[in-house]
Amino acid sequence: MGFIKGIFNAVANPWVFFTLAVASLAVLVWKRERVASKGFGYGLLGFLTVFLAFGTFDPNFRLIVTKPDNVPIVGLIFLLVFFVWYSLREGVLNDRRIAAGQGPIEKAESDRVWVWPDLVYTELISLIVCSVVLIVWSIFLKAPLEQPANPANTPNPSKAPWYFLGLQEMLVYFDPWLAGVVLPTLIIVGLICIPYIDKNPKGNGYYTFTERKAEITIFLFGFAVLWASLIVLGTFLRGPNWNFFGPFEFWDIHKLEALTNVNLSEYIWVRAFGRALPTAWYVREIFGILLVLFYVLALPVLLGRSVFKTYYEKMGGPRYYVGAFLFVMMLALPLKMLLRWIFNLKYIVAIGEYFFNI
Amino acid sequence: MAEKKGVGHAYNIDFLNVVFAASSLFLFLAVVWMVWDDFDRDWKNTQRRFAALQYQVTELQRQQASRAIDQNKLKQLQAQEKAAQQTIVANRQKVDDLQAKLADANIRLGRATTQAQFAKATYDHDRYDFESARVAGAADAASKQQLVADEEKQVSNLNLQVEKITAERAAIQKDLDQYVGQATTIQKQIDDMGAEAGRIQKQAEVLAPSVLKDYFRNAPLLDFMAPTIKIQQIILPNVVDDVNFTRVPKMDRCTTCHQAIDKKDAPNCGTPQQPPCWAKAPQPFKPHPNLSVYLGGDSPHPIDKIGCTVCHEGMGQSVSFTGAAHMPADNKQKEEWEKNYGWEEPHLWDYPMLPTKMTEASCVKCHKQQVYVPNAPNLSLAYGTFERAGCYACHKTKGFDAGPDIKRPGPILTKIDAKLSQDWVKTWIRNPRAVKQTTWMPRFWYNTNNSSPADAVRNEAEINAIVAYLFANSEKFEPTLRTPARGDAKAGEQIVKSIGCQGCHVVGEGERTAVGPHRTFGQPLENIGNKTTYAWIYDWVRDPKHYSPATYMPNLRLTDAQVADVATYLVSLKGPTGDAAKATPDQKAVDGVLLDYLKATMPSADAQAQLAKWNPEQKQVELGQRAINRYGCFSCHEIKGFEKAQSIGTDLSEEGSKLVTRLDFAFVTDIPHTSKLEWFRKKLHNPRVFDNGRELQPLDRLRMPDFGLSDEEVERLMTAIMSFQREIQPPAAYPPQSARYDYLQAGRTLVHRRNCVGCHIIEDDGGDFLKLVSNPSLGPPRLTPEGARVQPEWLYAFLRGPITIRPWLDVRMPTFGLDDVKLNGVIRYFGSISNTIGPFQTHEIAHAGSTDAAGKQMFETFQCQKCHVLGAIPKEQAIDTLAPDLRMASERLNPDWIVQWLKNPLAILPGTRMPGFWPVDTYPKSPFPQLGGDPDAQMRAIRDYLLTFRGGPSPKRSAGGSTTATN
Repeated sequence: MGFIKGIFNAVANPWVFFTLAVASLAVLVWKRERVASKGFGYGLLGFLTVFLAFGTFDPNFRLIVTKPDNVPIVGLIFLLVFFVWYSLREGVLNDRRIAAGQGPIEKAESDRVWVWPDLVYTELISLIVCSVVLIVWSIFLKAPLEQPANPANTPNPSKAPWYFLGLQEMLVYFDPWLAGVVLPTLIIVGLICIPYIDKNPKGNGYYTFTERKAEITIFLFGFAVLWASLIVLGTFLRGPNWNFFGPFEFWDIHKLEALTNVNLSEYIWVRAFGRALPTAWYVREIFGILLVLFYVLALPVLLGRSVFKTYYEKMGGPRYYVGAFLFVMMLALPLKMLLRWIFNLKYIVAIGEYFFNI
Repeated sequence: MAEKKGVGHAYNIDFLNVVFAASSLFLFLAVVWMVWDDFDRDWKNTQRRFAALQYQVTELQRQQASRAIDQNKLKQLQAQEKAAQQTIVANRQKVDDLQAKLADANIRLGRATTQAQFAKATYDHDRYDFESARVAGAADAASKQQLVADEEKQVSNLNLQVEKITAERAAIQKDLDQYVGQATTIQKQIDDMGAEAGRIQKQAEVLAPSVLKDYFRNAPLLDFMAPTIKIQQIILPNVVDDVNFTRVPKMDRCTTCHQAIDKKDAPNCGTPQQPPCWAKAPQPFKPHPNLSVYLGGDSPHPIDKIGCTVCHEGMGQSVSFTGAAHMPADNKQKEEWEKNYGWEEPHLWDYPMLPTKMTEASCVKCHKQQVYVPNAPNLSLAYGTFERAGCYACHKTKGFDAGPDIKRPGPILTKIDAKLSQDWVKTWIRNPRAVKQTTWMPRFWYNTNNSSPADAVRNEAEINAIVAYLFANSEKFEPTLRTPARGDAKAGEQIVKSIGCQGCHVVGEGERTAVGPHRTFGQPLENIGNKTTYAWIYDWVRDPKHYSPATYMPNLRLTDAQVADVATYLVSLKGPTGDAAKATPDQKAVDGVLLDYLKATMPSADAQAQLAKWNPEQKQVELGQRAINRYGCFSCHEIKGFEKAQSIGTDLSEEGSKLVTRLDFAFVTDIPHTSKLEWFRKKLHNPRVFDNGRELQPLDRLRMPDFGLSDEEVERLMTAIMSFQREIQPPAAYPPQSARYDYLQAGRTLVHRRNCVGCHIIEDDGGDFLKLVSNPSLGPPRLTPEGARVQPEWLYAFLRGPITIRPWLDVRMPTFGLDDVKLNGVIRYFGSISNTIGPFQTHEIAHAGSTDAAGKQMFETFQCQKCHVLGAIPKEQAIDTLAPDLRMASERLNPDWIVQWLKNPLAILPGTRMPGFWPVDTYPKSPFPQLGGDPDAQMRAIRDYLLTFRGGPSPKRSAGGSTTATN
């Protein structure tokens, strides 16, 4: 038993966890025919249920999972897994029909809209079921009176509301101005931009995967991996001092992690060139600045001429550049994570003089 | 599904119907459950149980009240009433007529009154209208004035009419009373007899179960409107809660469940036929103990001013058992609560309730200038233990600042060479309790975090080095006599056991916990023969201040022969030699330890260089100095070279308010990490426990020494710690300030810090020595009434140079050598206890021949001289009935007090042998004929006669006098 828990604890380590999440997404997309089977879907949900049931025998696991604040996230895991699987399955089924020349199932009955009684009735039922859930929830999970808030005694760990835990996780890798201001803004701007960038009419009103491979994969990466899985990580696996704790580990406030991170400038000047850091920040950070500029400005252009050439031609200049910029910004997070895990890289650009770090 | 889908539905409607029905049913059940969950809340059930209980009690009270009615008298009255009714029947016609008239008058009166009220209202309105019009200079002011004048007339007419009808009605009533008056009067008498029962009846009716109350007002879902079961709360503007950003009036809802908390029991409750006592009710319905001090309306802590949680802590707003942060007193209660209430360690409130035994810790929140709070025995014991253990020496603590008021707890080490041998000191500090079981000296080495074989070498190196430092820094001391003559040990033992040494010292008897802080005030005397030399003990007993000028040890004014006896006895007290060295450090080990110390303050290379400069002896001394510095020996002991060193422990001044998150539980997992008390308990039991499981460099380890505290002592110290609170209560919550209050608190502190309470009972505290004396009348006197009893000048002189008041006693008041400030403090303190501080009073003795003679006569009648000394000690009298020399009275006693004393000695000193000659129950009748049988005059006469005596022993003549005053 201890061995199994040990495996889970090890797997839950941030970089393993994140790598596995990315790998799962790849497998999901690659082996979607298999994934779409009912057996796989039920199997996945069954596995999650068994894991949770197994886990609740462990006091540490139980403590975290049954915390009233965290219970919704447990529900979130199930709902997320189910709906991702369901949409993928519907898409795969439709793709088979399309391949067979039948067109998607939704189009087969496109002459009708079932409002009465179907829609109205199901809405009413949903309303009732939600009320029942909320009432029972409020009876079971009490919201007790607590001690007055104390500015001198912040809780450890101090956690954002669950829906912001993905953002909070970004703070591990980026400075607050990036993780807390620039990137969230870009997320919102990016979501607003989607309809203008993605004009592909396919998939409109029906499930499909093949007709929208890139779009769905990018969305799933951004939503399921970068947002939802980081919420799960932040909720269950981040303990005191924002240290990482496996699901079966005791949240010991004394746990220490060996974290010594180094800036890019030190790698280049001290390690590669074997000389002291220049005093002037613009000399010291020149390589980082160039790298960032290259990443943000030149990379979309280079990509547009090589790998994404077809997209560039299909979308036209402005839409391509906006889309490509948003795309590289989204990838900035996993890239920075990798650099941190592999090279202990702290900042690419570290201008402490002006509190400007990237 | 697919078949039906085709017909025009996306879903199978039959199936949806089933889902709808099922979910609706669930919704209904969920709502019922929700309502029930609210209806079934613990506090509501508690109130229901209380209502039933209260109804039961009230019903019993009502029955009792009905039984108390004199049935014979009632019957008699009822018979009389029947007779009176006859009068009415005989005059039926007239009575009916008058009653009709009376009814008519009442109706007319009602009408007229209403009319008058209407007219008055209209008049008031129009008058204002006119007034404002006139001020504004409106044109129609004149017409309005006319209107107002008319209305005024109308109002007075109507009032006249009301008066007229009232008079008319009174006349009719008078006529009617001729016939019915007697019956009414008797009826009223009957009613009066049942008034008490009726009052309780009314209460019972309110409490009785009723359809309206139980099935409507308190019904589930309807109980939001006007329930009788509702949350009770006390809002306290003078006592605040600190919510970090601001302070808000406390709001205590404890009485929601503790409904009987301020109910006073009738004195005869619980006896047959009487309602039961609330005090015997099951919790939470027990009233607070000692209602005359706490919570009672006329107590100093009324419930509507003090509330609950300012003393008990816990969350006052909560109405759930666990939410209120109740804390069990012991493990048994804890298990019981876990079973019955699902109790768990509170972690949602920073200040959980204090266990009952520790509640006194909260007294200090408001009684904050007082170190020793009256009527708080647990707290006094806690502080006594805190002072004895010397906690304040290492841990700075407000109210316990080492200085003139409270000295360092340990003896001086500046002249150690003259007192102790190096070998003895090593054995002693290695494990003090192996040498003296009752000592407060703690153990620094061989505790749980420094007992490994490698640590043993380090320990011994440090022990040797510290001893080397102490002896290298010892001053010369010349005892009075180098080789004093030996005395008789037997006689010495007799003196030690009888003269009062045991008020402060234990002689190897009993556990430290059981003996208590007062009697461990001085060093335990067990095994003292192993410790030091005869010459030193002789010198010390003879005059302690010779060796240690600042010592609190008083001078007992022994003769040289007695000193020799005592010293001979003490030097014969021998016991275990203690633990032997557990390792022999070589020079390399010493160097290694010293290097560690040096490296903590300088780079390694410098440390090595420094080390090389010293020879082995210097190394010893240098290491000793650093070890003393690390362990803080200087906090308790005066050590040369450490005069200015700062205390090394955590400041405890606000430790009781510390948040549990500020405490490091390290790898100790057998206590809940949400409990501050458990942390303190663990820490005090083993101060190094939080190093368990950790891998630390020797100098990073915890260094608080082990006091070998018992469970009881740990509880006491926890009480002390919990009393060190952040000050948040506003001055309005403090007890009223006055000079008397200041004197009391300063004096109380003084008598505790000088251990007067080791021998004397003062304000019901202390007197530990008295317990050792077989007969309390042969022990040190109770001093509570001292301020009223003796004259301040006399007390001053007595304290400076005590004289023998009762020569037949073995125990003796020592000379403490207090300075004038302290002496005045003591005098003011006693004056404040009896509230006799005031302007100086003279007492004129009225020398009327008659009273003189009467006084003398009564003095002889009472045979005062049978017990009281008057020059010569009465013979053939058992010594425990002897009483002080009356010749001292004129100089010693307060004349007013003598009268009080004569009047009722038992009221002043319970258990005194002094008889009361005027029985209290027949006062002011006197059994004696003198002076017209006036007891007060008789007492005054005796008093005046007493005050004519002269020539008794007096401290004034020997004031500040020689320490060798004879007994």
